[in-house]
Amino acid sequence: MTSTSKFDPITLEILWRRLISIVDEADASVARTAFSSLLRDAHDYTCMFTDSRGRELVQGTFCTPGQAGAMALGVKRIIRGTPLETYSPGDVIVVNDPWLLAGHLNDVCVLSPIFYKEKPVAFTACVFHHSDIGGRVSSDNREVYEEGLFIPPVKLYDAGILNESVLEIIRWNVRTPEEVTGDLRSQVAANHVCAQKIIEMLSDEGLSTLDDLADEIIARTEQSMRSAIQSIPNGSYPFEGVIEGSGKRDDIEIKLTVNVADSDILVDFTGTAPQVDWGVNVVYNFTYAYVFMAIKSAFDPELPINEGAIRPVKMAAPEGSVVNCSFPAAVAARMQVGHFMTEMVFRALSAATPDHIIAGSGGTPAQTNIFYGKRSNGKPWHTMIIRGGGLGAGKNQDGHHCAIFPANGANTPVEILESDTPLLVESRELLCDSGGAGNHRGGLGRRMQIRVPDGETAPIPPVAIAVQAGRFQYPPKGFFEGRSGAKAGFLINGNPGDPGGLTFTNPGDVITFDSAGGGGFGAPLERDIAAVEKDVKYEYVSIAQAEKTYGVVIDSKSGGADIAATNALRMKMRNL
Amino acid sequence: MDGSFRLGCDIGGTFTDFVLVDDETGEFQTHKCLTTPSDPSDAVDEGVRQLENRMPGFLAGTEEFIHGTTLVINAIIERKGAVTGLITTQGFRDVLELGREIRYDAYDIFSEYPEPLIPRFLRREINERITSDGRIIIPVDADEVGNVLEKLLAEGIQSLAVCLINSYENPIHEKKIKDIVAQAAPELSLSTSFEVLPQIREYERTCTTATNAYVKPITSRYLNNLSNRLDSLGFKGKLFIMLSSGGITSVETASRFPVRIIESGPTAAVIASQFYGKMFAIKDMFCFDMGGTTAKSCLIQNGQAGLVSTFEVGRVQRFKKGSGLPIQVPVVDLMEIGAGGGSIAKINRMGLLQVGPESAGADPGPACYGMGGENPTVTDADLVLGFLDPDYFLGGTMQLEKNAAKEALKNKIAEPLGTPTIEAAFGIHDLINETMAAAAKTHIAEKGGNPNLVTISAFGGAGPVHAYGLAKKIGAPRILVPPLAGVGSALGFFTAPVAFDLTRSHRVTLDDADFAKIEELFRALEKEGIDILQEAGGQQALAFERTIMMRFVGQGAETDLVIDNKPFIEWQKEDIRSAFDEIYETLYGRTYPEQPVEFVTFKVRVSRPGRSFQLPKLKTAEKDTARGKKGVRQAFSLKQKEFIPFDVYERALLGPDSVIKGPAIIEERESTIVIGEDGEARIDAFGFVWIDISS
Repeated sequence: MTSTSKFDPITLEILWRRLISIVDEADASVARTAFSSLLRDAHDYTCMFTDSRGRELVQGTFCTPGQAGAMALGVKRIIRGTPLETYSPGDVIVVNDPWLLAGHLNDVCVLSPIFYKEKPVAFTACVFHHSDIGGRVSSDNREVYEEGLFIPPVKLYDAGILNESVLEIIRWNVRTPEEVTGDLRSQVAANHVCAQKIIEMLSDEGLSTLDDLADEIIARTEQSMRSAIQSIPNGSYPFEGVIEGSGKRDDIEIKLTVNVADSDILVDFTGTAPQVDWGVNVVYNFTYAYVFMAIKSAFDPELPINEGAIRPVKMAAPEGSVVNCSFPAAVAARMQVGHFMTEMVFRALSAATPDHIIAGSGGTPAQTNIFYGKRSNGKPWHTMIIRGGGLGAGKNQDGHHCAIFPANGANTPVEILESDTPLLVESRELLCDSGGAGNHRGGLGRRMQIRVPDGETAPIPPVAIAVQAGRFQYPPKGFFEGRSGAKAGFLINGNPGDPGGLTFTNPGDVITFDSAGGGGFGAPLERDIAAVEKDVKYEYVSIAQAEKTYGVVIDSKSGGADIAATNALRMKMRNL
Repeated sequence: MDGSFRLGCDIGGTFTDFVLVDDETGEFQTHKCLTTPSDPSDAVDEGVRQLENRMPGFLAGTEEFIHGTTLVINAIIERKGAVTGLITTQGFRDVLELGREIRYDAYDIFSEYPEPLIPRFLRREINERITSDGRIIIPVDADEVGNVLEKLLAEGIQSLAVCLINSYENPIHEKKIKDIVAQAAPELSLSTSFEVLPQIREYERTCTTATNAYVKPITSRYLNNLSNRLDSLGFKGKLFIMLSSGGITSVETASRFPVRIIESGPTAAVIASQFYGKMFAIKDMFCFDMGGTTAKSCLIQNGQAGLVSTFEVGRVQRFKKGSGLPIQVPVVDLMEIGAGGGSIAKINRMGLLQVGPESAGADPGPACYGMGGENPTVTDADLVLGFLDPDYFLGGTMQLEKNAAKEALKNKIAEPLGTPTIEAAFGIHDLINETMAAAAKTHIAEKGGNPNLVTISAFGGAGPVHAYGLAKKIGAPRILVPPLAGVGSALGFFTAPVAFDLTRSHRVTLDDADFAKIEELFRALEKEGIDILQEAGGQQALAFERTIMMRFVGQGAETDLVIDNKPFIEWQKEDIRSAFDEIYETLYGRTYPEQPVEFVTFKVRVSRPGRSFQLPKLKTAEKDTARGKKGVRQAFSLKQKEFIPFDVYERALLGPDSVIKGPAIIEERESTIVIGEDGEARIDAFGFVWIDISS
C-alpha cells in the first residue's frame, strides 16, 4: 500500500463506509417523500455524490446501473463546465438533457453544490425517472422534440430562492403536474439529506475537504478493478449481433470488439449501425454505463463504485451511430438498445471467461409500459410499470425468475396499481416452459394481464399504452448448448399488438404482457434428473418438455422420474 | 410460598437465562444454562428445577412466567416450519415467488434469493375477485374452495395461509374461506391475511401471512408443551410471551400470531433499557447489546423505544438489505449489525483491514478459546490489548490462550499489513468500535437524536468492554452498566406491558373521509384488542392509543399521527390537516398546505399498564472502593496508543458511592467494564456503574 497516504487503511475503511451510509440515507428518503409509484414502489432512481472536482465518490446501493453510470459522466461534465467560484450555497440545478445525462428526457437530474466553511466541497446529485415528462409518449417518435420537455442545466433554486418560472414551465408541459412537482421536491429533499450528512461528517472528522479522501478511495478502487481485469486473458474479443426493430422496423446491427490489454479494456463499436429514425437511439453515456456494468458485474462485483472503477474501462463508438447518437435523435426508448450492451459484452467474452457471465435475460431490455388516460370522472391519470423477465443461467446456477437486468428496479404491487389507476390486473404469474433449457435452466418469464374495466367505473376511452420493451422476435439466447428462453408477447384481446407505437384501448379490453424467459447454460441433457423432477413438480417445466428437451421421462401419476427410461432416452438423444 | 414471584426466561442461541424476582423484597435470583435446541422447553424445565433446588416451592408462588424465545426465528431460518399451503386469488399464486423483483445487489449477477416458505405446488388459486375499493366482482364459490382444500390436504399440508387480492379493503371472501375450512378441516392450522396483516401491498401481506402459517403449528405445539410442563411442575400462574413490539401477550395470542414474536429475544434488552431510562429519567438512552455474533442497538427517548412496521427475516446474504423475507408487523426499531466478540478480522481485496460481519461463532470460536480457531477475532484483540483477563473469563471457568490470539493476529493481520501485532489488535478493536459508531450515529440521527447527548446502556458479554470506545467515538458523555449486564436483558420481561397492536388499511382523502365510518373502524379495532387482551387475563382498565397514517395524495409512504382518544367525529378536518402539516414539516423541512392529503391506515395499541418493578439496593452500605481493588494490569490506552497501568476491580465487592477513576477495569462473571483515562465511574445504591466521560 502507498506509504504517502494521508489516511491509514483503517480510517479509510471507516470513512468510506460512512460515505456509503450517507448516500443510502438519501436514497431511503425518496421512498418516504416521492409521489409516483415508479419511484416509491419501483425504485427507478439513483442518488450519488462527487468531490469538489466532480469525480464520483459514491452511489446508492439500490441504484439503477444505467442512470448511475451515465450520470457519473454527465454530472462531472456539468460541474467542470462552470468555474467552481460561480456556485453559491443553496443553488439547485435541474437538467434532463439526454446527451449530458442518462439518455432520455424522463431521467431528470437535480444537482446541488455542498458548501462547508464557505467553500464548495462536494456535489450531490440524483436522477429520478419521471414517468411523465410530457410529449408524445411512444417509441416511434422521429426526433427528441416530440418526446417531451427538454431542460438544459438551469437553476431551480438560485442561492436558495425558488425560480418560479422554471417550475411553471415544467408544470405546463406535463400531464400530471402535481406528481411531477412532488417528485422534484422529493429530489431536492434527497440532496438536502445527503448534504447535511456530508457536512456533519466533515465536521465530525475535522476534515475541510473530501478531495484527499476521494484521491485515496478512487486510487484503491482503480487498483482493485485493474487487478480484476488482469484475470481476463489478453486479446480481442469480437461480437456481432442484431437487436430487433419494433413492429415492422429493421433490425439494428451492433458490432463490437472487447480489447483486453493487461489491466485496460477498450470496447470498440466500430461498424455498428447508424442512428435510426425512431426512439431507440442511445447516447454515449448510457451505452458506456451498460458496457461498464458488464465488466464490473462479471469481474469485480463486490467493490463499491466510484470514478476509480470506470478508469480502466474505455469505450469508442462512432459519432452518429445508434450507440452514440447525435442530437436531435429520438431517445425515449433507449433501453431497448442500451440494455443489450451488457449481454453483448458477455457474449464477446463468453468463451474466454465462461465462469463469470450469464446467458441472455428476459429482463433485457427492461419491459416498460406507460398507461394514461382519463378516469370516469374526467381526471387525468398516468402511470408506468417496469417488468422483469427470467434471468439467464450461469455455469453453476439456474437463472432467477423475473429480474430486471442489467437495469434494476422493482415491480409495482398489483394493489397499488389498482388503487392508483382505473385498471384491473387479472394475473401476474410465471410462465411454464418459458425458461431456456440447459444444464442450468434460465429463469422463467412472466405474464401480466390487465383489463380495462367496463361498466360504471370504466375510464373515459381511450386508455393509451406505450410499450418500451423487446424480445418479441428474438428470444434471450442460451450459452454453451443451453437453449433460448421463450419470447416476449404483447396481445390485445388475444391478438398480437404492435409494440412499436402507441396503442389505444377501450373498456372491456384485455391486454397481455408476457416477458421473456432467461437463456439456459450448458446442455439440457446434462441437467440433474432430480432438478428436472423438481421443475416438473413446481410446474416450471411441463412433463412434455421434460421429455422432449431434457430427456427426462416423468411418470405422470407419481410425478417422479423413470430413471431407466430416462437413461435410455438420454442416450438415444445424445446419439442423434 | 406465597404468590409474590415473577420469573423471566430468555432462550438465546447459546444460553437460556433466568431471572426470578421476588416482588415483596425486590430481590432477584439468576440462572444460566445451555439452550437445548431440539426441544427448548427442556432447558426451561432444567432451569426451573435448578431454581427450585435453591428456593424450594417458589414455582407454586410464581404469578407470572414471562418468556422470550428465538424458536420462531430459528424455525424460519432453518426452514423447520410446517408443510404449508396457500389459497389465493386466481392469477396470483406466484406473488410469493416474484416478490418485488428488485435485485438487492445491482452489480452481482449471481445473487441468491430466499426460497418462498410455501412451494409453488402448494399454492392454489380460486376464482374470486374484489376491487381496490372493496366491490365484489367475482363472488367466492364454496364448492371450489372445498375442492382446492381437499387437494391441499391430500398433499399433506399441516397449515394453511389465505391471502386474496384487495382483502385489506374487504375481507369478506377470506372470512368465507375461513368458515369453510373450519367446517371441513377443523383441526387444520389456519392463517388469514385479514387477521394477520390487513394492509395494502400483496407481496408483503402474503409473505407475512405465509410466515405466520409456516410457524404456527410449531409455535402452538411448543407453547402448549411448555405450558403443560410448567403445570406439572406446579406452576399455577399466568404464562406470557414477549412480542417483537415490546409488549407481552398470552400464549393463545402468541399461538395465533407467531409472526409477532419473531424478535422476541433481542427485544428484551431494549425493554430493560426503557425501564432504566424511565427509572433514572434519562432523556436519550442508547441501548447497546453486544454479544458474540451481533450488536443490537436502539435509541430510547424518554424511556420509549421506537416501533417500526417492517423488517426482514432469513436473509440469504446476512447483512444485505433486501435479501430476506419482509415481515410487516410492529417491531421495536432496533438495529442489528455483524459486530460481536466473535467477529473475524481479515485483510480484504483492497488490502484494507476488515472486521466482521462473519463470526467465528461458538465453534471453533476466537483463536484464544484454543478450540482450533485460526482467525483473529475481536475477543482475541481485546485479550491482547489487556482488556480481558485470560484467567478470569466467565469468572475463571474458561481459560483463554493469549499466545494463540497473538499468533492469529500476527499471521493474518500484522504481517500482511506490515505492522506490529499490537497495532493490528488496536486496529481491530478500533475498527469494530468505528463500525458500531457509524451504525449508531446513523440510527440515532434517523430517530432525531444527538449522539452527544445519549447515555449508553451496555449489555451483553462484549458490550461493557466496547462501550467506552464507542462512547468516545460518538461523543456520548455517559455510560450506564446495569447490574447483571450479562443476563440483564431478561429483566426487561418484568417491565413490559401487556399490549397488542392492530392496524387496518382504509384509503380515503381527508376531504372525502366519513369520520363516523372511521370511528366505527377504530371501535372495531379496539373491540378486537379487548378480546385479545382478555385472553391474557386480568380485569384492570385498558389503555387505547390511536394512530392515523396519512400522506399527500400520490405519495407512497405515510406519516404517523398519534391522536387523542376522543370519538373521531369530534375532530375537525382542519385540525387533522394542520397536525399533519406540522409533523411533516418537522420531518422533511417543508410542507405543502395546498397539496391534498389522505388517510391510508389506522392503528390502535391496546395495553394494560405494566406492573411496577422495584430493583433491590446493594446489600453492603460500605463506601470502600479499595476493598474491591484486585490489582493493576497493563492494558492499551486508546488515547495514548500504548500500554499503561489500569486498576482492576471486582464488581461484586464495590459498595455504593464508590468512585473509580480511569484508567480502570471492573470485572464481573459475565462481562468486563473498561474505563479509559477520561472516564470516572461511580456505583449507585442499586449497583449500577455510571461512567462519566470528559472529552
